[in-house]
Amino acid sequence: MMPRALWTHLVKDLRIELRTLDALVSMLFFSLLVVVLFSIAFDPRGVFSQQIAGGVLCVATMFASVSALNQAWAREIRHQVLDAQRMAPAPGAELFLAKVIANFLFVTVVQIILAPCFLIFYNLHIVGQAWLLALVLPLGTWALVGNGIFFAALSIRSRNRELLLSLILFPIFIPALLAMVQATTAILTGESDPTLWIKLLLGYDIIFTTVSLLLFDVVFHAE
Amino acid sequence: MKKLAIGLYAAVTVALMVWGYYQAIYVAPNDAMQGEIFRIIYYHVPSASVAFLFFAISLIGSIGYLGFRRNHAGWAQVSDAWALAGAEVGVVFCTVVLTTGPLWGRRAWGIWWTWDARLTTTLVLWLIYVSYLLLRRFAAGPQMQTLAAVLGIFGALDVPIVYMSNRWWRTQHPAPVFGGSEGSGMAASMVGPFLWNMLAWFAWGVMILGIRYAVERQQQKIAAREAQAALDEGSLI
Amino acid sequence: MDQAAILDHQFRVAAYAITWAIQLGYVAWLGLKWRAQKRNAARAPRG
Repeated sequence: MMPRALWTHLVKDLRIELRTLDALVSMLFFSLLVVVLFSIAFDPRGVFSQQIAGGVLCVATMFASVSALNQAWAREIRHQVLDAQRMAPAPGAELFLAKVIANFLFVTVVQIILAPCFLIFYNLHIVGQAWLLALVLPLGTWALVGNGIFFAALSIRSRNRELLLSLILFPIFIPALLAMVQATTAILTGESDPTLWIKLLLGYDIIFTTVSLLLFDVVFHAE
Repeated sequence: MKKLAIGLYAAVTVALMVWGYYQAIYVAPNDAMQGEIFRIIYYHVPSASVAFLFFAISLIGSIGYLGFRRNHAGWAQVSDAWALAGAEVGVVFCTVVLTTGPLWGRRAWGIWWTWDARLTTTLVLWLIYVSYLLLRRFAAGPQMQTLAAVLGIFGALDVPIVYMSNRWWRTQHPAPVFGGSEGSGMAASMVGPFLWNMLAWFAWGVMILGIRYAVERQQQKIAAREAQAALDEGSLI
Repeated sequence: MDQAAILDHQFRVAAYAITWAIQLGYVAWLGLKWRAQKRNAARAPRG
């Protein structure tokens, strides 16, 4: 099954979050705000709404994720928990993976709750194969959260921690964003084949998750 | 002796620059279709080549730093200096590319910008290495070099992915192509000036890279001396 | 010279000028950094 340390970390993070639902609530509200703001900025009417809905959904996911990522390591930074984690014999990669899974679940929950709002605000009718969305959105979210947790760890000791995270995450995330938006739009409008984009997202996820797992200990124990 | 060599190199570089300018403006003929605006190529394309090469040097420096930092601290510092110098000078040349390009495109093809594979990749490359420089500025403490090296690797990994994804995007939604297809023929009379400017810009780039590297090595030594002084002071108590 | 050629020329000159502004600006910045380091090194006690 799951390695022991990974499971422990994961359960711990989920349990802490479920106690207060701080991150989830703020993420949800922020995403909603983004959707409304985009709707006012880019008036979605008729066919046009089908074209931009994919992009808006992905950007809303990005902003929601960043607000979660910004405080992903917050608890570990306080009270020298990070140092305690470093001294534990468990491999850092498992701590990393647990954080990614936990935050992935949070963002996915937000997406699931947000989806009906989207359908309503944009009067969406999915022309393509709707079930593919259940593949595209998680892949895209994993790309965002995976790299995000890694870069959040990179920026822990910097002055403008939150700002720096966005600055280093967004450029590297660009191809995944492109793939996610193109795939989502292809599915919504049914105008093109999303397969290529899904494969790109999959490749992106595999490459960066592997490199993150390999290099996390380097970052974690950097001194 | 070394100072003499460096001075000589600088003089040759400046001479090459002047010669390249002369070649570009007075020897090379006007392009049949684009006229004078085509002469931007003599600055634009060499700058792009230098930028990409220096980003590659930065990547090698980052890998070197991570590899050497445990057992060969001296080599690790050298690698890190190359990583920073390559990134910073690369950003300078990349900035030149991103500013001369639109000026060329506006006159030659009527558009300032297009989101094709080459332009988007160059822009994203610029963004990635600027973010790398920002990490180096904002991250505190001795682990900054390690963190920067890791980000350098991530960034470099991303570049081919950006290029491919954009190529696929453009096969689906054809858009204006900047600068024609790859290597759309250059007249024989232009090849000479082009190569001279390539040489000149490479010489200039290497010179600037070397200066930046030296400045960074100096900075490292100052930092090490300050750290040692702080340690010594502490041990007196 | 017609209007298009004049504009072409201006844009070309602008491109070259911007290139040199960026390059020389960077060299100048490096020079300032170098000088600041020399001053720093001179001030600090040796070893």
